[in-house]
Amino acid sequence: MKHRSIKVVTAAVAVTVLTGGLLAGCTTAEGEEGGKQTLRVTLANHVWTDIVKDKISDFEADHEGVTVEVTQLGEDQLSDQYNVKLNAGTDEIDVMMYRPLQEGKLFAQNGYLADLSDYVTRDAAWDWNDFQEGPVEATTYEGSVVGVPIITEQQVLYYRTDVLEKLGIAVPKTLDELEAAAKQIKEQGEIAGYVGRTGVSAAVTQWSSFLFSEGGDFANKDYTKATLDTPAAKEAYELYGRLIGQYGPANVSTDMSWPDAAALFAQGQVAFYSDASSLYQNLALEENSTVWDKVGYAPFPAGPAGSVPYNVPSWALGINNDSNKKDLAFDFVEWLTSPELTLEVQEAGVPAARTSVWDNPAGTASFPPQLAEAIAIGAKTGVGYDRPRVISVAEAREIVGAPIVVAITGGDVDAAIKKAQADFQAFLDDEND
Amino acid sequence: MTTTATSLIVTTSPLQRRRNRGRGYKAFRAIMLVLVALTFLAPVVWMVLSSFKTNVDIYNSEAAFIFTPTLKNYDTVFGQADYVQYIWNSFFVAAVATLLSLLLAVPAAYSMSRFVMKKSAVLVLLARVIPGVSLLVPWYFVFSNLRIVGTYTPLVLSHMFVSLPLILYIMMSFFDSLPEELEEQAQVDGLTPIGAFLRITLPLSVPGIATASILSFIFSWNNFMFALVLSGASTKTLPVAIFDFVGYASIDWGGLMAAAVVVTIPIMVIALFTQKYIVSGLTAGATKG
Repeated sequence: MKHRSIKVVTAAVAVTVLTGGLLAGCTTAEGEEGGKQTLRVTLANHVWTDIVKDKISDFEADHEGVTVEVTQLGEDQLSDQYNVKLNAGTDEIDVMMYRPLQEGKLFAQNGYLADLSDYVTRDAAWDWNDFQEGPVEATTYEGSVVGVPIITEQQVLYYRTDVLEKLGIAVPKTLDELEAAAKQIKEQGEIAGYVGRTGVSAAVTQWSSFLFSEGGDFANKDYTKATLDTPAAKEAYELYGRLIGQYGPANVSTDMSWPDAAALFAQGQVAFYSDASSLYQNLALEENSTVWDKVGYAPFPAGPAGSVPYNVPSWALGINNDSNKKDLAFDFVEWLTSPELTLEVQEAGVPAARTSVWDNPAGTASFPPQLAEAIAIGAKTGVGYDRPRVISVAEAREIVGAPIVVAITGGDVDAAIKKAQADFQAFLDDEND
Repeated sequence: MTTTATSLIVTTSPLQRRRNRGRGYKAFRAIMLVLVALTFLAPVVWMVLSSFKTNVDIYNSEAAFIFTPTLKNYDTVFGQADYVQYIWNSFFVAAVATLLSLLLAVPAAYSMSRFVMKKSAVLVLLARVIPGVSLLVPWYFVFSNLRIVGTYTPLVLSHMFVSLPLILYIMMSFFDSLPEELEEQAQVDGLTPIGAFLRITLPLSVPGIATASILSFIFSWNNFMFALVLSGASTKTLPVAIFDFVGYASIDWGGLMAAAVVVTIPIMVIALFTQKYIVSGLTAGATKG
């Protein structure tokens, strides 16, 4: 009896020791050994990442002893991870892909991003001046460069070529023409006229081009006074609301982001859709769209202030301020954003932030010609932001976006604007304190 | 005739009514069961069907049930992504966290149950009350300084933080329900207290241990938050890996659904099989008692 008890206890101890041993065996601290260095790079799930990831072995071959370890995550997961890790002062992230307009100001203010001002000017051949002005402005914080823009996007107008042809409608050049065309198509009864994002927060970026083209903005230049109740902003809210609420799909949901809105267009249910240029492959590839061969592209229609879409760096590369391999990290950033690799990435359909690749015919050859033209126009006439330039961007978007939903659902837009203006003013006052 | 007929009606009608009521109840129960089953199974059915569709068909309501199936999504999951590694990671972390939690929690639960250590039990329960997310930053700070982020160790330890109190509380109530007389009898027969625990109490507790293990394993398998921050490229678990199909300007819905099937099916199978085991274990215990 006792003998068997001893056996059971021995077995339990053995399991514990084995498991512990297994755990210990798995615990291999990652770091530098014998002159070898591991560069830890965190990237977002993006076509850009898929392209450059396959080429990282070239960088490793050029830098003996260097291993690049890539962690790849979705955009929201990436933000969550940064918030925890950077807040804990980690040095386990060296190079980080981030969204300059969504979290750039917050990260820079918290001191998470290293000052790259000296780095970007160290190699004339790499040519910092080749980067577009708007994106550079978005990756600069209080006069210091904190990121290198890698991907840009502009708001463009997608349309159904067959529908416009059938109804004899010209491609809209102004917002008035867009509204008239959407109305005519909706009244025809076969498909809806226009669709865009409808979610409170998601819609803000795509509504911004309406706001700018009407001559408005989120706030005054130094962000001390909210300007959501100006006549231009009011017209932008109402027009966006009419386009989707009256001429959009029936019973349209008010929590659509780009996957839902793009799907309605890709399923052939809508004639016009305005969103980021980077989404075109969701509409123009046979594997994603039923109308892939009937998609037309146009610059964002002009309002009273002209055609003023956003032209933003959706992603940039920064270096963790607590990284102890900043030189190597910038070598890697420099390599990733070299004119050659940038051209290669753009040839694969990812709009880049370097002017030279847009001037190079090879750089635009892979884009549908109409889209390349629309992007080029957007890059010239656009502004460098698509959401309020504040620290707590998510909160600001909720405030600014509220009247959009009210306008879509046909509610009291004036009251919603009044409330948004007061809330946004209080928000700005609070942030400026 | 009339009298007979009337008496017949009088005598049979309550029975008939009962039968009708019985039939009505059965029909109602069947309808409710179908409704509940449909509600719970619809997302799973949609997920499985979508995993065999192209992205165009997934959004096409006309192709909800009739479509040309494709295995491309599964090819993406197992061919292009390293899902075998992710499955192993999830399994390893869940199994080791559950095993270690059992080793610590079962004897602890026994002691707390038999020696009435309620204050200690409440202290352990605190771990269940504190939201895990509030511990992420300090955990990351500690593990990062120990240079073990990205290995299995912080994942196992963080999962144990939740699993251990869970197992402890399940086992405490289980031990409470077992008569102490059995152990006393065993000790009269010559067993030591530890021997009585190992040879009498523990075998009778197998159904409880099985239940606690399954719940702990399922928690670990599904945990996303801890793995998001504490795992590395080679230790990524399935719930984190699934987000690889959500890109910035493109979402591979088919691949996402195939990956979701890969995440869901193993745990469903494990739950179904171990449920059987629990039931048989409970029956065995009842007969012995």
